[in-house]
Amino acid sequence: MSMAIKESALYRGRRLLGAALVFLAFAPSLSGETRLFSFTTSKGLPVKVLQDNEMPFIHAELQVYLDGRAQNANSLAITQLAVMNMFERSLNSPSSNLADMLLRQGNDYQVELGPESVKISMNFLPDRLGPFSKLLNEIFTYKSFHLKKFNESKERFWSLFLKNRDWRKEIAVLLAYQQLIGNFYFSQSFLLQETLNKINLAQLRSFLLRTFRPDNAQLILKGRINPYFILGMIEKDLPQPPSLPLQARKPEAALNTGRRIVVLNVDSPDLPSVYWFDVAPAADSAAFIPYAIGNFALFGFPGGRIYQSEKNQALMGGYKVNTDVVFFKDFTLFCNYLRLNYGDLENFLLLVDQERRKFSVRPVERKEYLDALNYYIGHAQVESSRFDYDLRGEISRFQGQGASLLASRIGPELFQDVSLSRVVQTMDEQMGAKSRTGPKEKGIVVLIGSADAIVKNLKLLKTEALEMSLD
Amino acid sequence: MIKARLLCWLLLVPLIPLSAQSLTVSSFDLPNGLKVILAPSGNSQAAAVCVYHMHGARSDPADGRGIAYLYQYLMFDGNENLEPYDHVLFIGKMGGVVSGRVSYDNSVFYEMLPAQEINVALWLESERLKSLRLRDANIDFHKNQIFNRISRLWEANLGFKAQTWVSSKVFEGLPYEFPLYGDLNRIPSLGNERIRENYPNFQNLANILLIIAGKFDISELRNGINKFFQDIPPGRRSASPVFNAQNQRKSPVLKNWVVPGLKKSMAVFGIKAPAKISYNYMYFDFLRYYLTDARISRLNHILNTVNKLDVEIESSFTDYMEANCLIIQISHPKRINLEKARFVLASEFQALASKPLGNSEVRAVRSLMEIDLLKGMLSPEERCQRIGEYFHMFGELNFFDVQLRRLRRITSYDVQESAKKYLLKENQVVLNVYGN
Repeated sequence: MSMAIKESALYRGRRLLGAALVFLAFAPSLSGETRLFSFTTSKGLPVKVLQDNEMPFIHAELQVYLDGRAQNANSLAITQLAVMNMFERSLNSPSSNLADMLLRQGNDYQVELGPESVKISMNFLPDRLGPFSKLLNEIFTYKSFHLKKFNESKERFWSLFLKNRDWRKEIAVLLAYQQLIGNFYFSQSFLLQETLNKINLAQLRSFLLRTFRPDNAQLILKGRINPYFILGMIEKDLPQPPSLPLQARKPEAALNTGRRIVVLNVDSPDLPSVYWFDVAPAADSAAFIPYAIGNFALFGFPGGRIYQSEKNQALMGGYKVNTDVVFFKDFTLFCNYLRLNYGDLENFLLLVDQERRKFSVRPVERKEYLDALNYYIGHAQVESSRFDYDLRGEISRFQGQGASLLASRIGPELFQDVSLSRVVQTMDEQMGAKSRTGPKEKGIVVLIGSADAIVKNLKLLKTEALEMSLD
Repeated sequence: MIKARLLCWLLLVPLIPLSAQSLTVSSFDLPNGLKVILAPSGNSQAAAVCVYHMHGARSDPADGRGIAYLYQYLMFDGNENLEPYDHVLFIGKMGGVVSGRVSYDNSVFYEMLPAQEINVALWLESERLKSLRLRDANIDFHKNQIFNRISRLWEANLGFKAQTWVSSKVFEGLPYEFPLYGDLNRIPSLGNERIRENYPNFQNLANILLIIAGKFDISELRNGINKFFQDIPPGRRSASPVFNAQNQRKSPVLKNWVVPGLKKSMAVFGIKAPAKISYNYMYFDFLRYYLTDARISRLNHILNTVNKLDVEIESSFTDYMEANCLIIQISHPKRINLEKARFVLASEFQALASKPLGNSEVRAVRSLMEIDLLKGMLSPEERCQRIGEYFHMFGELNFFDVQLRRLRRITSYDVQESAKKYLLKENQVVLNVYGN
């Protein structure tokens, strides 16, 4: 009897101890705040873990870097085909090990191909965290190319490329990027079928060997994650990078920010799309937010000058311009885009130019500045409720506070360096507002729609437009 | 033994935040009858204010179909204190988002905005509940806009026309039989007086839920709600809505249209699916994911990857409370491909009904559904809508745990049973559209 009591007391003690240990292990993570853990694995993969225990699933972003400055039509075709063969769901016959693993992981993934990176983002349940490191290993050591599938990917390239993605924006970004870095290798088409046909499997394998390696990538994980657990798993499963040295990137060169209008001919009944690109400072630069404020003062809805002018002059139907920011290593690209009637195209482009020029005589005013600042903070707060919103921005908010500290909230304190004069100065420097009277206009404009209808409606700007087709 | 208990503890601890998140939904009633539902979430800097009307197009009088759909637009036209589109401008200026839609069973209007500005959204919503600008000019403007837009769509988009016909056949005899906008040709002649008279039914406070999700301070929020909503006159309490899950169809419908000059033939399949209130809904939803969700898309796999038919596949799902319709549209320039596709589709439906899916497939689809459910719970506006719908259907607030538990328990047997019931030929309406 006394033995039984002793044993039961012992059990109770151990149970309490167990419970206490478990509580201690999870106590900091129950606070409901996000924490950043940052490390680089012995195989060279930088990993950032945003531990957020209110998020009941895990979001992962693997970014594999490409050398956008050295790209040409051939390498573009190789990259597109490699990614398609690895990740396109419709090409999963015969099935590859990677496709099976992705399916078991939940199959909620998407791949975005940009000029400087391939971004693979996925969501999965916490119980799939263990298999995730094996999936990473499979991505970095992918060898399951299949000739039949490869040939099919070339045959069905365009139908697969245009499916389930915002291909208009993807192509527009690529065209603008190439114009900016002075490596515009296109002649009259985006990607020719004959270029695709020339690619062979050996080129795809060699591409993967050179680029899909842990020391040429970055992994961001967000969710209810024990960072030490995932670090151990990744260390265990990640392959050694190939002995082949990482290719040196082309040195950074001055950006060609001169004006260019590119017309991409697409046979579609939809309204044409306008993408207006401007180069802005890199995301970690102090001039980035002032630029964003200035851009809002110009393109923003409803307070932006372009929208107000449209309304006041009753020129068009009051088009709302959307803005996206595309991040690159050395700079960012502000992409202001909208769809409008063919008849309004030229008026809109001329109006944008006119308002940009006005910046030199009428810089951003106090009210515009306050409105833009207010919008910028509010928008960031609203968007931050999305689990995958601007993870890089979230990570950068930890900078300066040291790793493992709680993230600062988005609020006015973020903008203490963003004075009105700073905005005005940045807009002058970056948009060239003061040199607007000079001969060189800035901004790359990509128009996507029926080339005939676009060119017919561009009377004054016709000579500036470069026409090209999809294939 | 100790190890097992420790393991249980370890397994339980990660669940704490999830349960806490789902259990914090609470509600209270204002003296005027407005039900307020609060779903806080600590780790967000945004809040969603949602006005959920338990009133939709199905409540329109038979000779006034389309009135509720008009309110969708009139709700943004302001009142004596607000100008048209002030909602959009006020919320847009602070970086937020405004949206609203009228459906058959309900109507939902919401604002997503920075948490500290929540009172602005409360004020805007209270203004909308107090009065609306229902002048002839406004109403006529929107009647014309709707008429022109739908007419254009009707003329230019054969797919829209075909899908409208198919869903009207699937829902024969149900409140969902007629389009949301009613009879297109009768829109311009809808009487403005009738529209104004019907408005108090739509804005009846007794049928409205005010749902707030995201970050907020409860006492401040209560003050705000009292300040803006307590003066709104109470509505007339009507009987709680009773939904009846409708059965599947008993006989198939097959119809052919010949459209001269058509470049792409198409086949539109309408499958009558279980009601949202039905126990079978989740099992059919599983089938829908499996067959049509772009991330799994079994249909794309069997039609295009395996059989190389190169057909275009589009699908849509209605998501109504008493019955639903899954529409699958397959198109291709060559009629022979379409015929083959039809045969492959029928075989696939047959296979799903005759043998259970493999465990790995069931697990994959279940994971995907669970991830989507969890994503929905993280998004304040979607959370509001789901809470509203669940309360509307079942009168309960905390549905999340129940849904999640049921979802995790779906087996291949459940899916097979659902396929047997709903993928039958008798339960389908098929429309073929050919060129001559």
